[in-house]
Amino acid sequence: MSLAKSFLFCLLILAAPAVLFAQDTVCIQCHGAQSGRLGEPVKLWRGSIHAANGISCHDCHGGDPTDFGNAMNPAKGFLGAPENDAIPDFCGRCHVGVKEDYLQSAHGQALGHGGPQCVTCHGNHRVVAASPDLINPRDCTRCHTYGRAEEIKSAVVATDSMISGLEKDLTRLHRLGIDTKELKGKIFSLRNEFHRLFHSVEVEKVRRQTAGFQKRLGKIRGSISTIEDRLARRKLLGGIAVALLVFGGALALLIYKSYREEE
Amino acid sequence: MSWRKRIYDWVDLRLGVQDLLEQNLTKYLLPRNINAWYTLGAVLITLFVLQFATGILLLIHYVPDQAEAFESVTRIMNDVPYGWLIRYLHVVGSNLIVIALLLHMFSVLFMKSYYRPREVTWLSGFILFNLALALCLTGYLLPWSQLSFWATTVATDAAGAIPVIGDAVVRFLRGGPMVGDVTLGRFFALHVMGLPLLLGLVVGLHLFCVRRAGISRPPFGPDYEPWEPRGSFRHQEHPDGIPFFPNYTAKDLGMICFFLAALLAVVIYAPWLFLPPDSLEPADPFVTPEHIKPEWYFLWAYQTLKIFPSKVLGLGVQGALMTFLALLPFLDRGPERRPAQRPLFVTCFVLGILIIVGISIWGHYS
Repeated sequence: MSLAKSFLFCLLILAAPAVLFAQDTVCIQCHGAQSGRLGEPVKLWRGSIHAANGISCHDCHGGDPTDFGNAMNPAKGFLGAPENDAIPDFCGRCHVGVKEDYLQSAHGQALGHGGPQCVTCHGNHRVVAASPDLINPRDCTRCHTYGRAEEIKSAVVATDSMISGLEKDLTRLHRLGIDTKELKGKIFSLRNEFHRLFHSVEVEKVRRQTAGFQKRLGKIRGSISTIEDRLARRKLLGGIAVALLVFGGALALLIYKSYREEE
Repeated sequence: MSWRKRIYDWVDLRLGVQDLLEQNLTKYLLPRNINAWYTLGAVLITLFVLQFATGILLLIHYVPDQAEAFESVTRIMNDVPYGWLIRYLHVVGSNLIVIALLLHMFSVLFMKSYYRPREVTWLSGFILFNLALALCLTGYLLPWSQLSFWATTVATDAAGAIPVIGDAVVRFLRGGPMVGDVTLGRFFALHVMGLPLLLGLVVGLHLFCVRRAGISRPPFGPDYEPWEPRGSFRHQEHPDGIPFFPNYTAKDLGMICFFLAALLAVVIYAPWLFLPPDSLEPADPFVTPEHIKPEWYFLWAYQTLKIFPSKVLGLGVQGALMTFLALLPFLDRGPERRPAQRPLFVTCFVLGILIIVGISIWGHYS
């Protein structure tokens, strides 16, 4: 809303220059207004999982996002774009566990010898979240046959859809005012651990560990079921109370009618 | 003689309870053609009492502090036994009160019940309506959610459009340059003490006016004839009427039950109806939600400010409309109350409602 945004802008300028709202960084203001190669990253980033979670340009590339003059100053931590082989280290500053599993995997072992790194699968700027959809014939066959990738996909897809289903359930419960913070935290951590497993690209390891993940997901499912049972009971008792009130109202009106007929 | 009878006689001898009950219940006669719209007063009193009771229960666990308010509301909803029911009754109840107040006002307008000598009754009712809206506005901030913070920021910001004193008014409302802990403290004090106290007093004045002037006869049916006191005060009697108790009380009770059923149905099956997703996230002054909108009853005012080229003009139009409504009994002085005989008024009445509803829908989707 324009009024609220103007207020926020004033607030940022006057009161809190150190805290930034992603859309207002000087990187986005400058590159967003440009066309071609220099403007393209902003357009791509807007559709990324990073943008959805408030991760902006300076979070990866460094620099001072509040100052046009120092936005790309190495003295302010500006890193620019990494070389191809340095991408795992670049992304691994945040995705520590994933980097670890990736480097031990066949993919990681082939780094520098034509092997894939993070952006090969997740994209550049329009970063896509890890999901079984990333394992597909079109993308995997760019480097090798699909057979082994398909085996991994079939090993993870059931657990991944279970995670997605539980996330949807928690969103629905949150909408009803239920405090889902703890369960959401558990799912978040579990999903990250599970997606880390993808990066090992070892079918046997994935199969071995999937059972453990499903057991932990089962516990979360149990907690959600307990909440759902409580809500169902609420609806049943509430429904009875509503019916009694309607009945009471109708009865009172009938009594009123009988008084009118007596008059 | 039973002990109950003894106590009753003892109290009656000293306070005249029997006489008081007769005068105000069984011998208090209402117009024979009284309709369901007249029950809205009883419905509203019930809803206000419910708000008061649930408000006190919420106060036990609510913490009016910027750092703890949201967490305390989350605790009420999830950890306090029946806390969810108490809070939802309070939230949905406040919306139902606005609906009942609007219906009550519309019926009074349509039947011209504000006509002489009931100008003070109307005026006190109009003040009650505004006090109820002020209670809604101050209560909105208390959960300290994203919606609370930004809706209050936008609402208080609108006052800045007032010429000359606008900035001072905004600062006064917020207690500082921006919505913060001081604003929360002010709104909390107003919501739980200042406004309820004032509301209680004005409800008392309103009921006193209703009882003192007597219930107005609905302007329908073949027996209709204009009534107004000439010269000195005269209570409007209805000698051929029906007793308030038990006859009309039964109808009051029936309508109260239906309203409570509707309230409970929303609380149980659609509690999200009056709570947008932003009301479930803690306030963050550095992240502006994309689609922040005021509550449905403020949408017309919100959109009016956007329609007019300047906010001063928008505020002026809102002020003029509210002043016109408040002073209507002093402007519309003709004795005719039958809607069928007042086509111009009925046309303006219907058009006015349609315009307000239309602007509100526009505001919702804008």
